[in-house]
Amino acid sequence: MIGLEYPPIENLVEWPNYFGGDSFWALNKIGLISLLAMAIPAAVFLFSKKELVPRGMQNMAESTVEFVENQVILPAIGRDGLRYLPLLLSLFLFVFIGNLFEVIPTFQMPANARMANPMLLALIVWVVFIAVGVKHHGLTYFKDIVWPPGVPVGLRWFVGLIELITVFFIRPFSLAVRLFANMLAGHILLVTFGVLCIAVFTAGLIIVLLPLTFGMLVALTAFEIFVSFLQAFVFALLTAVYIDSSLHPAH
Amino acid sequence: MLHALLLAAEEGGAEEAASNPILPTMNELFWGAIAFGVMYFLLAYVLLPPVQRARNDRAATIQANKDAAESARAKAVSATAEVSDQLAGVRAETVTMLEQARAEAEAERQRLVSRADREVQAMKDLVESEIATEREEALATMRPQVADLAVGAASKMTGRQVDLAAVRPLVDRYLDNPN
Repeated sequence: MIGLEYPPIENLVEWPNYFGGDSFWALNKIGLISLLAMAIPAAVFLFSKKELVPRGMQNMAESTVEFVENQVILPAIGRDGLRYLPLLLSLFLFVFIGNLFEVIPTFQMPANARMANPMLLALIVWVVFIAVGVKHHGLTYFKDIVWPPGVPVGLRWFVGLIELITVFFIRPFSLAVRLFANMLAGHILLVTFGVLCIAVFTAGLIIVLLPLTFGMLVALTAFEIFVSFLQAFVFALLTAVYIDSSLHPAH
Repeated sequence: MLHALLLAAEEGGAEEAASNPILPTMNELFWGAIAFGVMYFLLAYVLLPPVQRARNDRAATIQANKDAAESARAKAVSATAEVSDQLAGVRAETVTMLEQARAEAEAERQRLVSRADREVQAMKDLVESEIATEREEALATMRPQVADLAVGAASKMTGRQVDLAAVRPLVDRYLDNPN
C-alpha cells in the first residue's frame, strides 16, 4: 500500500565534496559543519559585550562558561581543573554545535554522525589525559596503572591489565563510539520518520497517518536537540573525569 | 573466469570499504582538526580571557559592594553600640543622682526628725520640770495643811492632843511616799 523506499546508509551520511576533488583538504558538508561549529561560538564570544550586567550574547557566552565550570569542571575535578576550561569549553561547544546541525534545515546532518570528529576529539582527549598524568606524576603514572597500589599482590597483575586496557584503549574508543553511535542513530531515526512522512503523504494517507508520523518526527526532532546537548555534556564531563583520574590516579 | 570473478570481488570489496559509513575520511579529519584547533586557540588565547576578565571584574565589583555594605553595617552596629553605651552611662548616672538625692533627702529628713525629736523632748522636759515644780510647790503648800488636818483628826479620834511636831515627820514621809 505504501511504496516505502529507504535510502542506503551511505546516502544518509556521506556527502559530495564542494571542492578539492579527492584530496585530503576536500571540503564536504561535514567539514563545513565543523567550520561552522567553530565559527558560531567564536562569533558569539567575539561579539558579546563585556558589561557589568550581561545581556544577549554576553549572557549566552558567560552562561556557557559558567555551565562548563559549575557542571563539568568543579564536580569532576575541583578548582584545580579550572585551568582546563578552554579545552573543556572548546570540546563542549564544538560537539554541541556540531550535533545541533542535525536539526538545522538544509544541513540536517550532525557532524558527529561521522566518525572523523568523534575519533579526532577522543584522540585529543586521550593525549591530553596521558600528558596530564605524565606531567604531574612522571612515569609513576604508567606504573600505578599497570601495577596499581593498594591491590592484593596476587590480583595486581590482573587488575593492572584491566586498567591498562581500560585507560589506554577503551576510554578513547568508548568516548568516540558513544558520541558517534548516538548521533548516527538519532540521524537515522529522523531520516526514517522523514521518509515515512513522505511515503504516507505520497500514498494519500494524510488524514490518517501523517499526523502520527509528522508528530513523531517533530517530537524526535526535539528529542535530538536534547540528545545533542546531552552528548556534548557527557563528552566534556568524561574528559574532565579522565583528566581528574590523571591528576589523582590513586583515587 | 576465476580471475575476472576475483577482480570483481575485489572491486566490490573496495567499493564497500570506501563507502563504509563508520570509517572516518581524511578530509573530514583534516577540517575537523583545523576547526577544533582554531576554536581551541581562539577560546584559550583570544575570546575567553576578556569574558573571564568581565566575570572577574563583576565578581570584584560585587565583592567590593558587599564589603562596603558590610563595612557600613559594621559601622552602624558600632554606632548603635556606642549610643547604647552612652544611654547605659546616662541611665547609670541618673540612677546615681537619684540615689544621691534620695540619700540626701533621707539625711535631711533624719536631721529634721531628730531636731523635732530634740525640740519635743526639750519641751517635754520643760513641761515635766514645770509640772514637778508645780507639784513640789503644791505639796509644799499642802504639807502644813495636811499635817494640821491629820493632827486635828487624830486628836479628835483619840481625844488627846497630838503633838504636831511629833507627827510632822510621819506626815512628810506619807506625803513623799503615799503608797
